Amino acid sequence: MGDSILTYNGGCVLAMAGDNCVAIAADRRFGVQQTTIGTDTTRIFKINDRLMLGLTGLRTDVTTLYNRFVQRLNLYRLREEREIKPASFANMVASTLYSRRFSPYFVEPVVAGLTEKGEPYLCAQDLLGAPLFAEDFVVSGTCAESLYGTSETFWKPNLSPAELFEVTSQSLLAAVDRDCLSGWGAIVHMITLNGIETKVLKARMD
Amino acid sequence: MGDSDYSFSLTTFSPSGKLVQIEYALNAVAAGATSLGIRAKNGVVIATEKRMPSILMESHTLEKIAFLSDTTGMVYSGMGPDSRVLLRKARKFAQTYYQTYKEPMPVVQLVRETAFVMQEFTQSGGVRPFGVSLLIAGYDEQGPHLYQVDPSGSFFAWKASAIGKNMVNAKTFLEKRYSDDMEIEDAVHTAILTLKEGFEGQITEHNIEIGQVTDNQKFKVLSPLEVKDYLDEVE
Amino acid sequence: MSQFNGADGGFQFDLLERNERLKEKGYQVPVARKTGTTIVGLVFRDGVVLGADTRATSDTTVFDKNCEKIHYIAPNIYCCGAGTAADTENTTALVSSQLELHRLNSGRESRVTTALTLLKRMLFRYQGYVSAALVLGGVDFYGPHLYTVYPHGSTDRLPFVTMGSGSLAAMSVFESKYMDDMSREEAEKLVYEAISAGIYNDLGSGGNVDLCVITRGQTEYLRGYAKENERKFRKPQGYSFPIGTTSILSSRFERSFVPTPFVSDPENSSTMAVD
Repeated sequence: MGDSILTYNGGCVLAMAGDNCVAIAADRRFGVQQTTIGTDTTRIFKINDRLMLGLTGLRTDVTTLYNRFVQRLNLYRLREEREIKPASFANMVASTLYSRRFSPYFVEPVVAGLTEKGEPYLCAQDLLGAPLFAEDFVVSGTCAESLYGTSETFWKPNLSPAELFEVTSQSLLAAVDRDCLSGWGAIVHMITLNGIETKVLKARMD
Repeated sequence: MGDSDYSFSLTTFSPSGKLVQIEYALNAVAAGATSLGIRAKNGVVIATEKRMPSILMESHTLEKIAFLSDTTGMVYSGMGPDSRVLLRKARKFAQTYYQTYKEPMPVVQLVRETAFVMQEFTQSGGVRPFGVSLLIAGYDEQGPHLYQVDPSGSFFAWKASAIGKNMVNAKTFLEKRYSDDMEIEDAVHTAILTLKEGFEGQITEHNIEIGQVTDNQKFKVLSPLEVKDYLDEVE
Repeated sequence: MSQFNGADGGFQFDLLERNERLKEKGYQVPVARKTGTTIVGLVFRDGVVLGADTRATSDTTVFDKNCEKIHYIAPNIYCCGAGTAADTENTTALVSSQLELHRLNSGRESRVTTALTLLKRMLFRYQGYVSAALVLGGVDFYGPHLYTVYPHGSTDRLPFVTMGSGSLAAMSVFESKYMDDMSREEAEKLVYEAISAGIYNDLGSGGNVDLCVITRGQTEYLRGYAKENERKFRKPQGYSFPIGTTSILSSRFERSFVPTPFVSDPENSSTMAVD
């Protein structure tokens, strides 16, 4: 039991940038160490029409944090009468995590969205809210290393939404198959200026 | 029973529904030097009189227009010390907002937070309302903004407004002069002309102050030299 | 300002007890992302040059190949950070905010020693638990200044400094080649060499060289001054999957420009009801 609590429930998130589009994908397993409890888990949450948040790590903290963000976003909307921008939201997440610098939430968030101009925005953070900005892809979760490997190989610039979907799906599925703690189904959200297309993938269920 | 019988506590309404302490605060504002603001198409200008009680005072040490943030400035009419309390709080609001969202605070948000402080001081025990009205000028993603905040904590966006001693005349003057397609340069001229209207004595670059923010989203206080240039143009 | 933060500033400790219990049960505290890092600073004739590599690591995995380690403090002051990424990021941001307030209140340009004092007081207060190792440089009224700040709050003032896991490699370059009164070109080149020494000899450092040159009244942030470690091999047209490669169980489209409804129940939010 020398494990990190971040790997207790398993799961991973991958987000990739394309041409005026962003894909964010996750597996669907909910486990308690080696036992699989659920295969219809949501770890990617819609923030607004152009912005989504992925949270990996300890499931109880994923749920708690998401609820806190919903509360703060609802207040933000009422106060500012507008939707939050990706960069502002990412910073809100970061400041929430850093406020617990000495007793952290065990999560690693991924923020993916489109800016007002339709440019992709990707930001991954560690459990203390240190932001990492990327123009290609960001990953998080129990198979982060594998995801880096597949993404580094498959990703290329200027992918169309249809191409990006395939690249994201294949990068995720390949990585997830080498991780006991992730998998059991996968889901991909494609964010474009027209809206969000959500696809549930056929994946190995072992 | 007159209203004055209810002035013992600022949180007690008079039978006619007034909080007399707030009205007294407005009187303090009306006794202060005139300040005004004009929102142009591509910016906002705020201007004020600097009235020196004595010629022996060093005029450059009195600064009535102040920065709230890079993009936003403020001028007051009324009690200077009171305005500085609000100034300090507003600056802190802008910083906290930036640190939370890494995005400059929209003008209306900053105004609302500041107005909220003023409201708090009309309903709390052991305090008195602020003896100032504020004109807040800023430029954000939504464009140029001019807001007026009063001691009661109420605030409105204005195309042009005036506060302080000569506010009634100044507002009438502004109503006549204002046009929607005004550029910032015209607005500065109009601001000076409006100040001139009720000015006691000769207007110079040392007894008025002008601040402006244009579409570069940087608020600035004009130097006496720049003010002088504008004064010469208006002559 | 609780409506912005969900907190009144400062750190919160509400999860401390739970996290301590987890530790007792044998779950290690997860590691935060670090910047293994080579950061340096150098004083030259007209100002200071700051330099940094661009690698961020978590344990031995490179998590960011091109991160920014030179942080803004004031228009005339910048600061390189090594240590826990979140700590360097937030400590420098906090001090830059305090300095901006100070500038607004005083109407004067910030001084490097003010930034230094704010940084060391904050780090000393947290007794080294905020693990930020910094190289602070800037030019103010009194001329160029260069300092290092250690996580416990001690500071040094020197004409050339290095910090981070690559500091030994970088210092070897400075020790052999530093001269007083260097020109800007010489200084830039020497800082570049020092960072390169870290990039090539220290495993915790890597990627590109970032520079920041501060002279009186002018600051130049040279992001990607040298990019010698771009990806070397990539399949010419890249890999491509024919559209339709991935088998899909279900698909759903949500049109945009509809105002987002308030989500009250996360388990029943719209993204959940997919299959």
